[in-house]
Amino acid sequence: MRWLDQLLQERILLAPVRVEGLILFQPVSKVEEVALDFGNTTFSPKEWFLPPTETLFSMQRNDGQPQLVPSMVEKDVVIFGLRSCDAKGIALMDGPFLREPADTLYQERRTRTSLIGLSCRQAQPECFCTSVGSAPNDSSHVDILLTEIEDGYIVQVITDKGKALLPQALVESEEALPPPPELQAVPTKQVTQAVREFFNNPYWGRLADRCLHCNICAYVCPTCYCFDVRDYSNKGSLERVRSWDSCQSAGFTRIAGGYERRATKGARLRQRFSHKLLYFPEEFHDIACVGCGRCVKSCPVNIDIREVMSDLEQLEAKSGS
Amino acid sequence: MDSELIQQIRNQARDLLESGTVKGVIGYERASDGLTARPAFVYELAAVERLIFDETCTHNLVIYLRDKKAEKMAIVVKPCDSRAINLLLNEKQIKRETLFIIGVTCPGVVETSWNYKGQTLQARCQTCQLSKPLVYDFLVGHEPVEWPKAVPYLNVQEMENKSIAARRDFWLGQFERCIRCYACRQVCPGCYCPECFVEQLDPLWVGIRIAPKENELWQIMRAFHLAGRCIGCDECERVCPVDIPLSLLNQKLEKKVKELFDFQAGLSPEEQPPLATFKKEEKLGFEE
Repeated sequence: MRWLDQLLQERILLAPVRVEGLILFQPVSKVEEVALDFGNTTFSPKEWFLPPTETLFSMQRNDGQPQLVPSMVEKDVVIFGLRSCDAKGIALMDGPFLREPADTLYQERRTRTSLIGLSCRQAQPECFCTSVGSAPNDSSHVDILLTEIEDGYIVQVITDKGKALLPQALVESEEALPPPPELQAVPTKQVTQAVREFFNNPYWGRLADRCLHCNICAYVCPTCYCFDVRDYSNKGSLERVRSWDSCQSAGFTRIAGGYERRATKGARLRQRFSHKLLYFPEEFHDIACVGCGRCVKSCPVNIDIREVMSDLEQLEAKSGS
Repeated sequence: MDSELIQQIRNQARDLLESGTVKGVIGYERASDGLTARPAFVYELAAVERLIFDETCTHNLVIYLRDKKAEKMAIVVKPCDSRAINLLLNEKQIKRETLFIIGVTCPGVVETSWNYKGQTLQARCQTCQLSKPLVYDFLVGHEPVEWPKAVPYLNVQEMENKSIAARRDFWLGQFERCIRCYACRQVCPGCYCPECFVEQLDPLWVGIRIAPKENELWQIMRAFHLAGRCIGCDECERVCPVDIPLSLLNQKLEKKVKELFDFQAGLSPEEQPPLATFKKEEKLGFEE
């Protein structure tokens, strides 16, 4: 872990840190601050690629001439200790954010960030990554993957970017990788088809009865990325700000004139599942859920995506399709 | 689990649905962790078996009455929840005749979160002065047992003993973590504005920035909008994903209103809340 201190020299090191009762990715200045015994962080690392609030650009008037001041990404970043599910979450976000025309701020952060993953030796009760195309020790979307063993860590260097982080060659290990923990299975094979087929089913209205329509599920999710953009002006200068938003909130589809496309609770709740399980896979060929279980853990009224997927599969089975 | 109490709730629900007295029953069912509870909406007889009641039933179900105004609904209500009913009746947000209230003599609820059930009663239960709901159509449960209640507002007094600078540092540190998920607002029976001040664009009170200054404004203004109206269910604190101690903030204002006006919200559907009322005999702050 001393090696992490070296990385701090020219880079920002983001790692899981205990903050009161939470585990949050925060910049650390020394290795002792890093929490290593945790299930998963309270928020996903998406906040470092799509911050809760950011200035897209500002404009100032100098000598009567408007001058565009683009936002800059300051330093290279290393994110340490992210789980395979979250790494996949970032890879999924690349779909909408990097396709042409690319979101330049996201793109710059993505290029200048290296990912050091930490395999899960234990699963949490809410985890289901293996049902959605990931695994507790999946190395597909990180630059380096660490797996904890009794007297240290096995280090797998996955990419050249990862290799560049290592100060010197590591000792070749004879140790075999320990087996990943077993996870419960969630039926997901027909879920995309089921969402399409049961779009008008009263299931959504019934489920939404208890939904609070807060923003928790969208904000803790590694792959939800809705945002709002607003200009703030002050005495000849202007700032365009982007902040997190959620399809769940009441006014999300309100347009000029007061019309709301998704006026009912059921329509709004259905939208989140439709986006993740139907629209996103139609466009990017993978469902936008990585099985981290944060929504399950944080939802104040226990709307459980695993239960939704299972209910949809049951509807599909009953309809004889 | 008190199976007798649960049977009483289910029997009542069954009767109400069968007779067509209500469109649905709002109660509690087991959550997907198999340990805690979640709100349940029962519209069919076959689903009545899902209804439960135990020490994990922390949710204040009164919030759901605001979405169900068109139909007559039955609702399972704890004593604290009944204060929310009184609040909404008083503020003309719900009509008494659209409710069938199944009141529960609640022995208190414990702290719960996903897959976790605490062993001691929540702080609000320890200071609760009510043993049965203030308003109900049918009461279930055993004769209320009195247990020694904790002294209220001790945590508020502890904060009051700190310097202004220390208090400011504490709260600004807490508000920094806020991500403006608005779960606190959504779960609160007192927050029912069709357009919340934080969503208003003209005038722009807060804006969309999720940042310390804006968070501070959001948190403090919501607390003030609840002054003299908060019924102390503490659900806001439970749902906060970043553990901001919201009950402490709300209790400070509750204590202040109690000292100034000898008033607590939700104890009666008739009594007017002091901050929405003007009485001629109240001092105006200058000599008349």
